[in-house]
Amino acid sequence: MTPMIDVVFQLLIYFLVTFSTPDVLAHLDISRPAPDKTQPERRTPPKMIRVNIYAEGGREKGFSLNGRTMSRAELSSILNRLASFSRSQTVLITCSGSSAHAKLVDVLDICAESGLNNLSVVSAE
Amino acid sequence: MRRFKQSSDHVNMTPMIDVVFQMIIFFVCTVQLEKEAISEFIALPDSPHGPMVTEAKDPRTITIEVDERGRFFIARTPLSEAKLRKVLAKTVIDYGRAGPSIPIRIRADGGAEHTDVKRVLDACTAAGLHKISFVATKDRA
Repeated sequence: MTPMIDVVFQLLIYFLVTFSTPDVLAHLDISRPAPDKTQPERRTPPKMIRVNIYAEGGREKGFSLNGRTMSRAELSSILNRLASFSRSQTVLITCSGSSAHAKLVDVLDICAESGLNNLSVVSAE
Repeated sequence: MRRFKQSSDHVNMTPMIDVVFQMIIFFVCTVQLEKEAISEFIALPDSPHGPMVTEAKDPRTITIEVDERGRFFIARTPLSEAKLRKVLAKTVIDYGRAGPSIPIRIRADGGAEHTDVKRVLDACTAAGLHKISFVATKDRA
């Protein structure tokens, strides 16, 4: 019996060591403008929230909302307040090319938290 | 007589252990193979409030990965931007009218530059795909 117990014990140790619970994942849905280059200027409906994301160290605090520069915490509280008026507002997120992807996910997360689900992501050079 | 008694006391376990061992190796290998479809070198950004990824997803879903250095992968196969565009365009054409509704999941590293993510987004929109979502970690285990 001893060899079998040895083997089973080895396997048990192997599975215990390699065991890891998988991370719970989230999906953040976005919409992209059509790749239509002939489209003239983008029409901006009045009820649109414009969020800009800057690269590390750019534009003071990293984010701006309708032209006002702010930090992540400020952006979160203001977006939450704006969302309490209407959740169907379009949020136009403009990303600077050299900004980290994590910052975009940060903004998408804030939008998910406040229930804004009309998100559009565009890129600035 | 004594010898016979001894052998009936100890049933020969070796074949059974062999079979069990084979099965365990088989399961271990298949689990590894399934995991290899996604790269483990991508540090997903956190999104504690995002909606949870459900298991019952569209089987057509294409997962595109972007690593920190801006390289693209589908099922751990590195692709150039031109190749990615070609693959997506061909997939959309193969599915016919249902093509543009193929969901795209982008697993991008938190440290990746937006330009590289944008290249994937542009490749998707150029192929006519519009159901795009980013994958983030909701809850770290």
